[in-house]
Amino acid sequence: MDYSELDKVRRRTTPLQLDAVESFARGRLTRREFIKRGTVVGLSMASISAVIAACSGTTTSPSASSGGASAGTPSTGASAPAGSATAGGTIRVACQRPAGPLDPVAMIDLASYGLTAQTFEFLCTLAPNATDIAPGLAESWTPNADNSVWTFKLRSGVKWQDGKDFTSADVVATMERLVAAGNSGIKGVLDKGSAVATDPLTVTMNLVSANGNFPYLVSVFNAQSLITPADYAQGTLADKTPNGTGAWKMVEGSYDIASGVKFVRNDAWWGGKTPLDGTEFTFFDDTASMVTAYQGGQIDALVQFDVLTGAPLFNDANFTVVDTPTTNHRQIWMHTDTGTFADKRVRQAFALTLDREALIQQLFKGKGELANDHVIWQHYPYFSDTVTQRAQDIAKAKQLLSDAGTPAVSATLQYGRLNEIPDLAVLIQSQAAAAGFTITPAGQDNGPFYDSQWCNTTKPTDPPCTGNAEFGIVDYGHRASPDVFLNSAYKTHGVWNASHYSNPAFDSAFTEFQSAVGVDAQKAACAKIEQISNDDTPIVIPYFYNYLSGNAKKFTGVYTCALGQMFLSAASTA
Amino acid sequence: MARYLARRLLLALVTLWLLVTIVFTISNVLPRDVGRTILGPFAPQESVDALNERLGTNRPLYIRYAEQIKGIVTLDFGESFVSSQPVLPTILAAAGRSAKLAGLALLITIPTAIAAGLYAARRRDRKVDRAIVLLGVTSWSIPEFITATILVVVVGVQLGWLPVLATPPPDANVLTQIRYLLMPAIAMAIVYFGYIARMTRAGTIDVLQSDYTRTATMKGLTTSQTMRRHVIRNALVPTVAVIAVQIGYLFGGIIAVEKIFNYNGMGATMLFAAQRKDLPMLTAGVIVIGIVYMLATLTADLLTAWMNPRIRLDASR
Amino acid sequence: MVDVIVNPAPPAPMAAPAASERAQARRETLRLLLRRPAFIIGNIIIISWIICAVLGQRITPYDPFNDFSAGHLPPSPEHWFGTDRIGRDVLSRVMVGSRDVLIVAPLAALLGVTAGTFLGLIMGYYRGRTDDILSRLVEAFLALPVILVALLTLVVLGTSPLVVVFVVGILFTPIVARTVRSAVLSERELDYVTAAKLRGESGFFILSREIFPNVLGPTVVEMTVRFGYAIFTVATLSFLGVGLQPPSPDWGLSVSEEYTNMIAGIWWSTLFPALAIASTVIAVNLIADSLQSTLNE
Repeated sequence: MDYSELDKVRRRTTPLQLDAVESFARGRLTRREFIKRGTVVGLSMASISAVIAACSGTTTSPSASSGGASAGTPSTGASAPAGSATAGGTIRVACQRPAGPLDPVAMIDLASYGLTAQTFEFLCTLAPNATDIAPGLAESWTPNADNSVWTFKLRSGVKWQDGKDFTSADVVATMERLVAAGNSGIKGVLDKGSAVATDPLTVTMNLVSANGNFPYLVSVFNAQSLITPADYAQGTLADKTPNGTGAWKMVEGSYDIASGVKFVRNDAWWGGKTPLDGTEFTFFDDTASMVTAYQGGQIDALVQFDVLTGAPLFNDANFTVVDTPTTNHRQIWMHTDTGTFADKRVRQAFALTLDREALIQQLFKGKGELANDHVIWQHYPYFSDTVTQRAQDIAKAKQLLSDAGTPAVSATLQYGRLNEIPDLAVLIQSQAAAAGFTITPAGQDNGPFYDSQWCNTTKPTDPPCTGNAEFGIVDYGHRASPDVFLNSAYKTHGVWNASHYSNPAFDSAFTEFQSAVGVDAQKAACAKIEQISNDDTPIVIPYFYNYLSGNAKKFTGVYTCALGQMFLSAASTA
Repeated sequence: MARYLARRLLLALVTLWLLVTIVFTISNVLPRDVGRTILGPFAPQESVDALNERLGTNRPLYIRYAEQIKGIVTLDFGESFVSSQPVLPTILAAAGRSAKLAGLALLITIPTAIAAGLYAARRRDRKVDRAIVLLGVTSWSIPEFITATILVVVVGVQLGWLPVLATPPPDANVLTQIRYLLMPAIAMAIVYFGYIARMTRAGTIDVLQSDYTRTATMKGLTTSQTMRRHVIRNALVPTVAVIAVQIGYLFGGIIAVEKIFNYNGMGATMLFAAQRKDLPMLTAGVIVIGIVYMLATLTADLLTAWMNPRIRLDASR
Repeated sequence: MVDVIVNPAPPAPMAAPAASERAQARRETLRLLLRRPAFIIGNIIIISWIICAVLGQRITPYDPFNDFSAGHLPPSPEHWFGTDRIGRDVLSRVMVGSRDVLIVAPLAALLGVTAGTFLGLIMGYYRGRTDDILSRLVEAFLALPVILVALLTLVVLGTSPLVVVFVVGILFTPIVARTVRSAVLSERELDYVTAAKLRGESGFFILSREIFPNVLGPTVVEMTVRFGYAIFTVATLSFLGVGLQPPSPDWGLSVSEEYTNMIAGIWWSTLFPALAIASTVIAVNLIADSLQSTLNE
């Protein structure tokens, strides 16, 4: 252990960064976890590699495993093919049809996330290994001593597609817009005036309260936090006025929600010249048509598919399947304030009727992991294993129901037709019947489902998507930190709080988590969060499932965020 | 003749007006906030209100209805609620696609079916006839989404002979376009073959048994001359009527086939518009389909009158 | 499926037959029908499905809703038709799926034929202004393909078996009305009608006692044809997602849930429900066909 090197780093760090270094030095974080954690808290790549080198006595550079060099661009990451002389060509991508207008601030479905991420970019983008964040429009970021003020240094020389320069004013305007819209990740973290442009290339974020995970909230994992120009008025749609900083320019007039959209290379992109000339997205309503299209040679890549209809792809020698454990999950919400599920015992009883292993086997052929009715994924570094995994227990469920005075419960389960959710609803109906639940599944297409069951676009509420239906299943995409989930689905008045859940104990545990300094403190807070969520059970979460994506082998350099954004700037025909 | 046409035209207009009214009624049955649907649940209320003002969705029903009619008469179908793009080009593009597919399907079906029908009628009650009748009944009973699925899997995926998605690349030449449309067209043709063949067969049998055919034979005309000059024209009368009625279906009703082949014809466009409660698009689509149907039946009637002069004089239908 | 327009038989030139003669004529028709193989085969198929629908789960090898084996097992001695993607026995589901079809489709057909006959009788007999207006309405409805209107209405109003019956039934009414109207038009000029009018009978009496029994032939044929078409339409609507909902084992729904797996080589979960639909529609059409030929002789 080279203490002098280690000390050099220690002297330059803030307490949060120091904690990460110490944890790693003492062996409480693995190298992977340290790289991830270090990046989040703003340690530069140089510091990280110095620490690793100091602790292991060798000069291994971590860039091979984390991919994104600090000042580099994703396109020069490890996945760029040697001899990228085969430039040119177009990749044809299949994705779900967007469920609504392409409004970067108001969008809520994964298809829209993926499309806007082609022309717009984030302060913190996705690293090519597809699980960590890496510098995007922000070259580096540092917190202050207690993580309540974060300073972001922006990349210079970036231009908007209409020719104007990218400056801190754009970032500030974007943050203001997100605050005004009550964005799920930003709400309660930033306020009006929190973001300040200290100079044309520096933005200082004065958080409402300390938050150790803040960079995730302005990264690809908060899909709406795309940086849009300062003059983008609220409600501007990306398909009508696509003016981003990204590698791809939307071909004017090519966006047709009935068929698809085309993009061409942005010659003025700061990341250099993309190997491919352009990309073409075609919209589908179901994954099976996507698979058929691939087999028919009309599609090269699928943003996401499910294990059953994608079965042929696994055996296809010309297709690369990407199969990653993620925090993708389904939330089965129940109204906690009024109605059938107001009594906690009824909700717990329902949770106890589910045979989660069987669900994972039947729906995902095993490609998923158990979840315990809370959103703290077992692979988060601050996961606390203090809550027993809930398993199917019909006897106990019946007991709880009779204790609550309702031995027979009937309810309608609303869901949107997306991937395996219809089958989940049917299996829930069958499993819960054993304990006395009579559940009637009611499905509709995903767009109308969001409009009328999850949110209520006919008679808007504040916050907007607070469960028009009392009992329903909604899909959640992957987040590298649980902040967005906790902030929007569980916190009182969260923008996606469909269960109308309001528990001051939970809210304070969440605040504790956000302001925690150090992994141990985060773990302690998470233990509370897990226990409260599992006990109150406002939402049943039976599983986390793997994200399946892929492309024809003839293309390399494609990487996809489990939130639906497929990054093609480094893609090329090998 | 001119009077006949004028009368038909008037009736057609009345029918179109009825269609528009029906669509308007159905779409306004349920309350909804148009501005909110377009902008999504996270837009601030002021933007939603402003949009509603602009679209005029809060005015009383009869004013909106009057505007609707006025708009249609001046050929201004407005903008789609979903994409804020003008409706007419989208609908016309979809109509063009449907027309191509329907046209190809008819091109395949009509000659084969009529030939089969005539052939069967000439050999009535023999094995060939029974076989054709049975084939007809069977093929018309199988819903087209089933034949389409089987075709996709067998011909498109396993054998790889034809492309699986029916939308050809833009500016493809005619032959390429036909290649892409061939599978859905065949799926539809299989269903209609049976029906048209049987209608032709029935009509031909009727005519073959009639007096004037016997007269022709007794006059010394050969069978083929008889067929050509007398039988075919009269036998096809019911067939023509039937094809005309089916054109509306082929044009707007084959949603299942469009779904399987990911083809954006009228059916798919209308379904999408209904799901998103996009009233301008729905209205325009309904009118286009209505017009196509009117034109088809009018043409059929004229064709029938030309083929069989006796029908011209019967105006009681 | 394609719209069948039934051509009514040319009318008999004499007075209305007496009641006993009618009964004898019906028996005679039945005898003739039983001599046609098409009629027999059609009935065998339909009756088998009716038995499945009535006895339901009592005769299925597995519970079609709650018995889960491994997913996508190919046909075997344990599962004659294999299993679907979440492990339910396909044979059991196909058998019970007949119930939904055999309830919704006939009800829709019945609704359509009843309303249509009523409408057709009125339009055909009274002519004049009523007929003109109603004919316009009928034309308007006929302009749009049934599937499209049904789909749009179900999307807007939401779907449930009752709504499906109602919507499909209403949409069948115009075409039935048109057929009945033509039949009535031919009948009303006949002597027995004039005789009844001279006797001073009311229009209602003439319609119900004199005309209606004589248009019964084409009406019955129309009913069977509509039944076939109703099965077809309900299956397509379920395929498109606006008919019956999961976990219903309805055939159209099963096909839409499973057809995408055909690419992966899983043919049984799609083929058997599809064959079920096809066999039922074929059977009904065979019966309709035989009826039409017999009644026209």
